[in-house]
Amino acid sequence: MKIEGTQELHAPRERVYAALTDPQVLQRCIPGCESLEKTGNDSYAVTIKAGIGAIKGTFKGNVRLEDMRAPEHYRIVVDGKGGPGFVKGSGDFDLEDTGGAALIRYSGELQVGGAIAGIGQRMIEGAAKMMAARFFKALETEAKDSQP
Amino acid sequence: MFAAQFDYVRAKTLDEALSLLAQNEDAKILAGGHSLIPAMKLRLAQPPLLIDIGRISDLAYVREDGGQIRIGAMTTHYQIESSDLLKRICPLLPQCAAAIGDVQVRNKGTIGGSLAHSDPAGDWPAAIIALNAEMVAASRNGERTIKADDFFVDLLTTALEPGEILREIRINRSNGRTGQAYTKMHHPASGFAVVGVAANLSLDADGSCQKANIGITGVSSKAYRAAAAEAGLNGSKLDEQTIASAASHATDGVDANGDLFASADYRRHLAEVYVRRAIAGAMKSVPPA
Repeated sequence: MKIEGTQELHAPRERVYAALTDPQVLQRCIPGCESLEKTGNDSYAVTIKAGIGAIKGTFKGNVRLEDMRAPEHYRIVVDGKGGPGFVKGSGDFDLEDTGGAALIRYSGELQVGGAIAGIGQRMIEGAAKMMAARFFKALETEAKDSQP
Repeated sequence: MFAAQFDYVRAKTLDEALSLLAQNEDAKILAGGHSLIPAMKLRLAQPPLLIDIGRISDLAYVREDGGQIRIGAMTTHYQIESSDLLKRICPLLPQCAAAIGDVQVRNKGTIGGSLAHSDPAGDWPAAIIALNAEMVAASRNGERTIKADDFFVDLLTTALEPGEILREIRINRSNGRTGQAYTKMHHPASGFAVVGVAANLSLDADGSCQKANIGITGVSSKAYRAAAAEAGLNGSKLDEQTIASAASHATDGVDANGDLFASADYRRHLAEVYVRRAIAGAMKSVPPA
């Protein structure tokens, strides 16, 4: 499945980039993120307890950031496994300065398998969008609050 | 697969269910079990406790009370499909019920369970929006009503708060000349709506449209009101051109979702086609002046 979209955050691009690549900020912003530990240079082990309505599951996985060019670009590679299935994917984040605000363009490819793909196939795209919206909302708050 | 282990309590009254729910934050309410149980068997949902309200018989009813239709949350799809009262005064509901799943689903599944689950392809949300219904939510602190337009928040997410149970659905009986219809494209395997459109039209004496209400399910993460399409109908004579041009706005401002079966573009196309069909169906059902 392709995931792509744009999101404007009302915070300076440098702040947004710093927030997007700060493990502590990410842990607070990723919906349901229980832990995020550094396992190497720009790579992390994460545990996410995600839930939408009655559907809940715990995912454990790895996240790696690549091709980091602050403050405009990086690439994220994820793979995870949990009770309801597995997720695997990668995506590019491009940040554009729009005069005091930051426009994030993201585009990636996500593979979802297992039970969650069986029963939830028709809901995966909706779920991904909903999680992304929650993530960016939290991120915007963080990036604003970090301003001097 | 078997469901993960869970506890089960059959509540005898709504009050009992509400106090159990207040004591157990992670408990899930079990109604007809036609969405929750499949999810539990795949272990997508693993609630530690199920509070079964499906056998509280005074939550299953259809009645008319002072110009208002009241439907208990535990009324099954089949009870609505076969209600003579509703066929007479609100035919959209029986028509929508008849389009749900198969006979077994309709015999067990409930309108309240379906609405509270808010499946993005569920049929009831479209009808409930088109009928401007109100949901009565009960909690230990009393009751409140939620308008259909505010009830569906996002994917599988409603305005119901933790500790609340949907108790009743209320619909104002329409006066004057009205026409209603529900049309859907069934997913061939699941029976869910790939796209489903409910239309509820009020007509003036001269046949022009006084007020159009159109609810659409299946296209996006939640059912929605097709406000732009409604605006294209309100105050107009419903000729072919007006209907076609209104229908072309069926997905204005809506983020359509795609899946393996139907892409987002295809869903947008279907929404337009089914809005046209729903309006045509609703016009056919208007009694002669």
